[in-house]
Amino acid sequence: MAASMRSIGRLFCRTNLLHQSLQAVRPGHVTLPAIRSHQVGTPCMQLNRQFCTPVSPEKDVADTLDALSRYKDRPWEYLESEEYIERYGTRPVWSDYRRNHKGGVPPQKTRKTCIRGDKICGNPCPICRDPNVIIHYQNVKLLQQFVSPYTGLVLDPTRTGVCMKQQKRLNQAVETARDHGLMPLQVPHVDFSGQDYSNSHAAVGNTPPAPVKTSEPWYYWYGTLNPDDREVARVKKIYKDYLKK
Amino acid sequence: MAALTALRGLLRISSRVRDTHLLSRATPSASSDRCLCSAARANVSFSDPEVQQLLKRVTGCDLQKVFRPTQQPTLRPPSYKLLTDQQLQEAVSLARREAEELLAPPPELEERVPVCDVLSHDAILQGADSAKLVFTDITLNIPHRERFVVVREPSGALRKASWEERDRVLQIYFPKEGRQLTTPTLFTDDNLKVALSEGRHEEVLRRSLVQFEPDAAEYKRVQRLVYEDVERRGSFDLLRSTRFFGGLVWFLTNGKRIDALLLDMLHRDLVEDAVCLVRLFHLLHPQSDSAQQASNTHTSGLDLIKLYCQSDSQQRGLIELALQTHQQATALSCA
Repeated sequence: MAASMRSIGRLFCRTNLLHQSLQAVRPGHVTLPAIRSHQVGTPCMQLNRQFCTPVSPEKDVADTLDALSRYKDRPWEYLESEEYIERYGTRPVWSDYRRNHKGGVPPQKTRKTCIRGDKICGNPCPICRDPNVIIHYQNVKLLQQFVSPYTGLVLDPTRTGVCMKQQKRLNQAVETARDHGLMPLQVPHVDFSGQDYSNSHAAVGNTPPAPVKTSEPWYYWYGTLNPDDREVARVKKIYKDYLKK
Repeated sequence: MAALTALRGLLRISSRVRDTHLLSRATPSASSDRCLCSAARANVSFSDPEVQQLLKRVTGCDLQKVFRPTQQPTLRPPSYKLLTDQQLQEAVSLARREAEELLAPPPELEERVPVCDVLSHDAILQGADSAKLVFTDITLNIPHRERFVVVREPSGALRKASWEERDRVLQIYFPKEGRQLTTPTLFTDDNLKVALSEGRHEEVLRRSLVQFEPDAAEYKRVQRLVYEDVERRGSFDLLRSTRFFGGLVWFLTNGKRIDALLLDMLHRDLVEDAVCLVRLFHLLHPQSDSAQQASNTHTSGLDLIKLYCQSDSQQRGLIELALQTHQQATALSCA
């Protein structure tokens, strides 16, 4: 009897909490519903206070909220902060992460995502486990940790341990950063020898006026053009089997 | 209102007259790249062999910088060879020849004239389509500059495509490696400033060469910004031994602002390069005092630099000081 009352109370509590959690879930981060203070006097609330246990302690929620608000607008500041240096030092963010999998060979794709709704998996990837590590195209120092210094390619997720969703966001951020010129991009060498930039051809220059005498062609190639005999012979030789006799 | 239009018409006519006047006076060159100065000064173009030789001397050829390791998607392990002295010399000369090709400067062209020719106007087609139709000639073996790209407007006019439309359409049908359809955000003023403040001038210029045509207005703008930033910071060494140093020297000499570069060369003991720079200045501005005096007296070497700094330079004191220190250093080393 008491147990069933307790379970009913917990159900009431949870539904109330869901209604009152107005905070939107940010992708890639754990957001815990806010605990609002209940009004005193209503019998329903009294029941809740008696039987309700909060989903998580107040302290953790406050911490997460604080952290989210602190580096949300300027994510690059976290990489200069003391807590980052204490936690990671000079090593990259993914250096001390190890995937859990069966057997010697890891699956060639990491997990699809670490965070589904409010729930975070066990052993989350290096980006999901630290809510202060935010992927942003201006956060160049973080992005550089995931790019190989020798090839310039983004490192494979099987090496860094990042989940597939964050890897996709990482690729997009690196591409945006290179587009903005914040990260270096290797371009091929362009050869300009043997090109004519005179712009004298009618295609790009001025159109000559239409001829006054209608017998004259407007451009010289509108009239009869005699093809080069050697070119014709060469093409005929290539397509000899297909030509009608 | 009528007076304004009349004035505008007058200006247009006068400008056309002036342009034809200039064209008739100028000697025609094989390629149409001419210096940006008016025809009253020398008719020296960027592609003249004398100018190219001077620019090549000034650029230098630091093999360590030209063949420095870069980021490549496919890496190979290094190969080690055992060579005799003669084979080593041959390998070095081969490397120098390859470096010369890599250091060939991109062409300096005049800004391209906008294309706005209407080929025909068929009013019967008005409202037939709500969108513009672009017709491109995709024959394989014609150069892109001879390719016809025309646009049929919804109003029925058939006109030649503008330069931007041409570039975009040619990139769709004949894509070039590294070039994007839309301009990268790197080339906005703010992002350029950020990139230049980090000292990545060469990368910016390389990317602009890949993205734009050498006679495009955008390329000219980016080039000018980068060169002005280099001159302001005095970081000429960033571009030395790259293919862009020739363009930098050409830009500065045309604008008569070679003092900072001259000082930098003298501080680094590159006296032959300084002499070449002053000779280029005299080639481009033969009406200047130092050029006339030099041609009269046939001076050469350090005296040429002294002549320049006496007549035409704005930072006379600094250049004379640098020359003095260099002479003292040479005297000490000789003694």
